[in-house]
Amino acid sequence: MSQARSVSQPLSHVTVKSGPRSCHPLRGQSLKSQKSGAPQAPGKTRARSRRVDPRLIIGGILVTFFVLLAIFAGPLSALTGNDPYTPHRELLDDNSVPTGFGGGISAQHWFGVTPLRGADLFSIVAYGAQVSLTIGIGATVISMLIGVGVGLLAGYFPGVVDAVLSRTMDVFFGFPFLIFAIALSAVVPASFPRELLLILVLGFFGWPSIARLIRGQVLSLRGRDYTTAARLMGASTGHILVNELLPGLLPLIIVRLTLALPGRISAEAALSFLGVGINPPTPSWGRSISDAVAWVMVDPMYLLFPGLALFLVTLGFNLLGDGLADALNPRARRREMVEATVDRTSGKATTGTVGTVTDGHNARPDSHDVREEVQA
Amino acid sequence: MTRNMTTQKMASLPQTPRQKIRRIGISALAILTTFALCGCGTGTAAAGAATTTSNTLTVLTQSTSISLDPATSQSLPNTTAGLVHRRLNTWKITDDGQTKVVPDLATTTGVSSQGGRVWTYTLKKGLRFSNGKPITSRDIKWGIERSFSDSFTGGLSYHKQLLADTAGYHGPFTGKSLKSVTTPDSRTIVFHLNTPFADWPWVASLVSFAPVPYGQGTQKSYANTPVASGPYMVRSNQAGKQLVLTRNPYWSKSTDPVRSGGPAQVVYKMGQNLTIAAQQVLQGTGDGSTSILGEFIPTAQRVQALGQPAQAKLLKTSGDGALEYLAINNRHVRSRLVREAIAYATSRRDYRTAKGGKAMGGYATTLITPGIAARKKYDIWKVPVDGDPAKARQLLKQARQEHPHLTMIATSDQSEQASAIQHSLALAGFDVSIRTMDSEVFSDARSNDKGDYDLLIASWQPDFPSAYANIAPLFDSSQIGGGNMNLARYSNPRVDALIHEATGEEDTARANRLWQEADRTIMEDVAVVPLIYSRNTFVHGSRVGGFHIGTFPAYPDYLSMTIRKEGK
Repeated sequence: MSQARSVSQPLSHVTVKSGPRSCHPLRGQSLKSQKSGAPQAPGKTRARSRRVDPRLIIGGILVTFFVLLAIFAGPLSALTGNDPYTPHRELLDDNSVPTGFGGGISAQHWFGVTPLRGADLFSIVAYGAQVSLTIGIGATVISMLIGVGVGLLAGYFPGVVDAVLSRTMDVFFGFPFLIFAIALSAVVPASFPRELLLILVLGFFGWPSIARLIRGQVLSLRGRDYTTAARLMGASTGHILVNELLPGLLPLIIVRLTLALPGRISAEAALSFLGVGINPPTPSWGRSISDAVAWVMVDPMYLLFPGLALFLVTLGFNLLGDGLADALNPRARRREMVEATVDRTSGKATTGTVGTVTDGHNARPDSHDVREEVQA
Repeated sequence: MTRNMTTQKMASLPQTPRQKIRRIGISALAILTTFALCGCGTGTAAAGAATTTSNTLTVLTQSTSISLDPATSQSLPNTTAGLVHRRLNTWKITDDGQTKVVPDLATTTGVSSQGGRVWTYTLKKGLRFSNGKPITSRDIKWGIERSFSDSFTGGLSYHKQLLADTAGYHGPFTGKSLKSVTTPDSRTIVFHLNTPFADWPWVASLVSFAPVPYGQGTQKSYANTPVASGPYMVRSNQAGKQLVLTRNPYWSKSTDPVRSGGPAQVVYKMGQNLTIAAQQVLQGTGDGSTSILGEFIPTAQRVQALGQPAQAKLLKTSGDGALEYLAINNRHVRSRLVREAIAYATSRRDYRTAKGGKAMGGYATTLITPGIAARKKYDIWKVPVDGDPAKARQLLKQARQEHPHLTMIATSDQSEQASAIQHSLALAGFDVSIRTMDSEVFSDARSNDKGDYDLLIASWQPDFPSAYANIAPLFDSSQIGGGNMNLARYSNPRVDALIHEATGEEDTARANRLWQEADRTIMEDVAVVPLIYSRNTFVHGSRVGGFHIGTFPAYPDYLSMTIRKEGK
């Protein structure tokens, strides 16, 4: 524990002292990454791992697992000679319900088979991960690009630009998204790939919340000294937006990205649920879940596996997002701790800590950090 | 003939669109889906306002609106609209399950003259509307005239094809009157047809022949609260919530040979999630024991109920009913060899399995459905029920199209069945892409003038037990597009001629032979691939009595249902 502190402390002090632009968030970020990512002496590995947020570990494992599952869906399904399309009528009874334990779970069919067609459920979940992740990531990236762009402009140009963009956001917020998506599915030609359509639709409707967040952040950053300084030094607007403001928004963007992703995956599931999502027989978690709900009394495993997959991937991204939020943007949390600390420690020590907090760009300290620093 | 349906939204409903709408009406998916998404479970809360007396029959339906306009309804004579509207004739399901056409408002099922071209009806005495006014022949004529109006489309149109001098007639609101329907006095009405038609009494039993008070019903809103002639009248009809039918004080059992008028009240709770509603009826929770499910029970709930004897006895399954078929767009797939290959590649067993297995119906090989007099069983292609991919490949080779690309449209509820067909066609080399859509979009896509599809799964229950209602709406070339049901977009002058000839043929035996020839000709052209004759399973609460399904139609008889006292 004390060893760990000895590694991190000097760094955080460096941050505090790092010159007039120390408040530049990018600095904080790069330092932070040095801190948590820099190679350390072998003997300190154990101590260091204790400092990593368990949410990041669990979230990271879950996300990695599903990404791998998606990438290797084909080979994994092929291990048992399965694919998500071939029906196995021989595994169904006269009412098309899977026979055998747990909806037909066997060495051949790890998750059993589906009622009505007898398709391999493991393959459906694995291939469904491809669809869900592709659409989730694609749509999130589009939302981010539009949202960050609009948010930057709205925040940096108060007045007409801000008013127009903000009202546009309001309109999008109030737009009946599901009805629009259903209508769109009727209009778009059959030849247009449904996956791409979903990415575009979900992406296009996901940006306003991000834009609003970014706008708020930009409003507070644009008055900062370093922005003013850049402007006085003659930097162009584009330069200020991209090189001065954007880096400061990165932590926020990354966090939003991981938090928005599960929402997009659920939205894909919802649209498939409504029949305007992915076309059958391409597997989709949403369609599987919607089909399986009716069967839950007869064949609960049919709902359990795809439902669990959706739950875990959502949980994974949320944990990752929460963990990153704290790791990249420690202010809120730190302030709490500081307040707690003030109660317990001398005024002098507190003042020192507050200085660190105000700059707020050193590595994410956990409570031990603060307390021990103060005591030191 | 019938311009059909609109809907099929059968969320977990394993059934055909066409069938469903007949009974209930049109629904709007958006609302339904919102319910599904938020998991509110729908209905019970929305319908909480219904005052439930001990003698109330509740119908739980997925539909979000119920139209009772005789001009636009497609309801069968013995379901919803039959509770509110009497008509010249109606249907009686006899104790041995046969369906007979019997006089309703009229004294006879029709007196024909001029070899079946002219049909005369006399109304019974003392008939009154729910507003107390007497029902006259003029009101029947007005109802029929309304159905020609351009503002009231979507209803049954058999009479529109058969009545004489209808060209250029667009309803009574233009100030014109229909010449081929005359009313010599207030109790007599005469129909002049453009062809002799022996089954006219059946046509006169459809909802289009319900009376509408002369001069009324100029607005679409008439569909919500029409003036009633049957045992029930509308007390309230709120789309998405509920329809409440209460006793019509002017209805008299003495003039009505068919309707029991048993329950004091009939309440339709709309926008139900079928899975939840089925559970409610099976388990008797809430109003479940005095309820019926307006749609077919979802396959999963049927299987679940079969496992529990107390619930299994609440299920009623029809005999082989509607024809379910794979419609091939003959305008796109012009090669008969390719269509034949589709027929050989299709595994009817896989299809039926994807619908829910054996209980879903027998395999179909012909177009005229069981229970119709003209039906003759034959199997000209002798395709094995599992399909014959090798033979299909060979046919494709012959057609020099080894991997034809086909687009299949489907509702999301049909995705398992569509996947089953897609897979069996793929084994023969077809490249089929499925495109699912919202059910209302689907009903437009399949019957609009464009016909932007190659394949779709459809189902047809004739509107009355006659080969005419079986063949003509589906295969007459005049029924392509425009909301009509020739979904195969099949056009063969020889079949048109056979339909025309058989329609006007007075000799039943000869007419039947002509219908069989039409059936066979269409099958030789492989216009469609017959899949199964579907059996429909319904569920009723433990206190609902008189729940019968005749051999035709494959629906329970709403007119005879009663509520048993508690504890019986």
